[in-house]
Amino acid sequence: MKTLIFNSDSEKYRSKPKLTVLTRKVGLFIASAILMIYVLGPVGWLLSSSFQTEAEIVSVPPHWIPHEPTLKNFKAIFFQEFEEVTYENRSRVDTSAGGYIPTTAKYLLPSMWNSFIISIAVVILNLLVGVPAAYAMAKIRFWGRQASIYTILTTRVIPDIALVVPFFLVIKNLGLLDSLSSLIITYLAVTIPFTVFILVGYFESLPDELDKAARVDGCSRFQALTKVFLPLSVPSLVAVILFTFLTSWNEFLLALMFTQTISSQTLPIIVAGFTSDFTISFSFINAAGVIAIIPPVILAIFFERYIVSGLTAGAVKG
Amino acid sequence: MSDQSKLTIGYRLLRRFNYETRSAALFILPVMSVLALVTVFPIFYSLYTSFFNLKLTRPHRVPFVWLDNYIKVLSDELFWESVQRTVSFTLMSVSAIAVIALLIALLLNETFRGRRVISTIVLIPWAIPTVANGLLWKWIYDSGYGALNGVLLQLGLIDKYTVWLGDADRTLPLIANAFVWKEVPLAAILILVTMKSIPADLYRAARVDGANAFQRFVHITLPSLKPGFMLVMIYETMMAIRHFDLFFLLTEGGPGEASHVVAWQIYVETFRNLSFGTGSAMSYILAIVTFALAYFIIKMLGRRV
Repeated sequence: MKTLIFNSDSEKYRSKPKLTVLTRKVGLFIASAILMIYVLGPVGWLLSSSFQTEAEIVSVPPHWIPHEPTLKNFKAIFFQEFEEVTYENRSRVDTSAGGYIPTTAKYLLPSMWNSFIISIAVVILNLLVGVPAAYAMAKIRFWGRQASIYTILTTRVIPDIALVVPFFLVIKNLGLLDSLSSLIITYLAVTIPFTVFILVGYFESLPDELDKAARVDGCSRFQALTKVFLPLSVPSLVAVILFTFLTSWNEFLLALMFTQTISSQTLPIIVAGFTSDFTISFSFINAAGVIAIIPPVILAIFFERYIVSGLTAGAVKG
Repeated sequence: MSDQSKLTIGYRLLRRFNYETRSAALFILPVMSVLALVTVFPIFYSLYTSFFNLKLTRPHRVPFVWLDNYIKVLSDELFWESVQRTVSFTLMSVSAIAVIALLIALLLNETFRGRRVISTIVLIPWAIPTVANGLLWKWIYDSGYGALNGVLLQLGLIDKYTVWLGDADRTLPLIANAFVWKEVPLAAILILVTMKSIPADLYRAARVDGANAFQRFVHITLPSLKPGFMLVMIYETMMAIRHFDLFFLLTEGGPGEASHVVAWQIYVETFRNLSFGTGSAMSYILAIVTFALAYFIIKMLGRRV
């Protein structure tokens, strides 16, 4: 605040534009700083507390930056270096007072692998069924075209929580409870409408002449799609892949209902399991949270351009 | 009817199934069959279930009960209370999202050094899993060691630690805050995109006519943002009504029933009371209301989405 007043004072007698430029700069700086604190503050706090020891994390007021950073929590996750609570040592490590690292820490990596497999499968299936459908809806003038677009978008309006009950009954009757395939199938329902939405928007923005030229040159519909349209739509395909991957990676509700053991539990389920147990070390829970956050955040930062352009393609003409 | 018109109808029908339609059908068939399996069938199955008294605690006797499940749900006081809470949660979240997203979009619409970095960082909350988001805010609101208490104490705004989520009046706003934090980036991007599509000529003309920055904002920016806002409001309303994750992770419907919203009610009824009949009925009511609401917002705010 002080510098602001000082600066505007010293600029007082100069030409007006310079002053406005300066106020604008200061204003933008303050606004950006507030925004960054709002966005990064919570994440930074989680990150900082994941490197703290149990003694440090319970200090009042909290240490914003760890005074004696430790990798103990991450070691427990990646190398299974944790102290098991047994009958012999339980008096030494009082579990009821909090501060122990659970043996379920060893499930974090397998659950991450489950999440990965599911996400990849959902991405591939989305592309296989979504791309041809979106092409047909955008470029072929057929009877029932509008109706099929609306049908697909409509299915996305139905709340997940309303689908959970019927999904559960269907999955149970198919005998697929607690299997990766149950999640792959249900995530398709969640992701396909969005995939089609983005791709139809993008294909429509490409000129019809491309399609006609390909057809005149003797391409079949399928060839027009694979040889002309696919190479042109890499940006929106990347967006679709990212959206689908992130949705599957982050999904919680359906995974909570359909998985029971580590053979199918995904990362969000394992992490959520820690949060409801009050005896577990706070810093360890936060480390698990950090592990869950890292992959999607890296993807988002790396492919920011594609995400924004993918949203744009679908939304603006919308 | 003459033979001539019959022929035309037959001809028209045949025309409808020409090469174009056939190839389109082939392209669309996979999507449609997947959606039929994973969405359309379950939804009708759920309608069917909602007419039966299906309890997993009693799997061999499943009587057909007509509309009893619906009557039971609609005459349940807890259900209407949870509807109220869902409505206030949705209103809080959506209005906060619209305002904050507009502010962020206004900032990112300016050209200044570091804008690109900032617009990338803004995406972070959108990318993180809801579970991590829940964990993050649970830890921030923590009564013993949380950041919220820490910050307020250090700023001298409180003199002792408070149990934030334990206060029934604060629970919904606090959960809404966590929800808003995660949803704001997407809304900001959608509004920013709309903002960028406003022709610069409009602003120049207004400046010539002597409009100041505030007048330009009210008379040009806000009206032009209508399509963007409409999209954001529809999308975020849908998301807020159905939201479950944070209620599960932060409060489990508590304290008392302070955060017992409809989504949570469906979960409790179905997976804790194992009453699938009433659970399905409730799911159906929620789906229809969401649907009607989406339609209503579209009709109210403008032409096509």
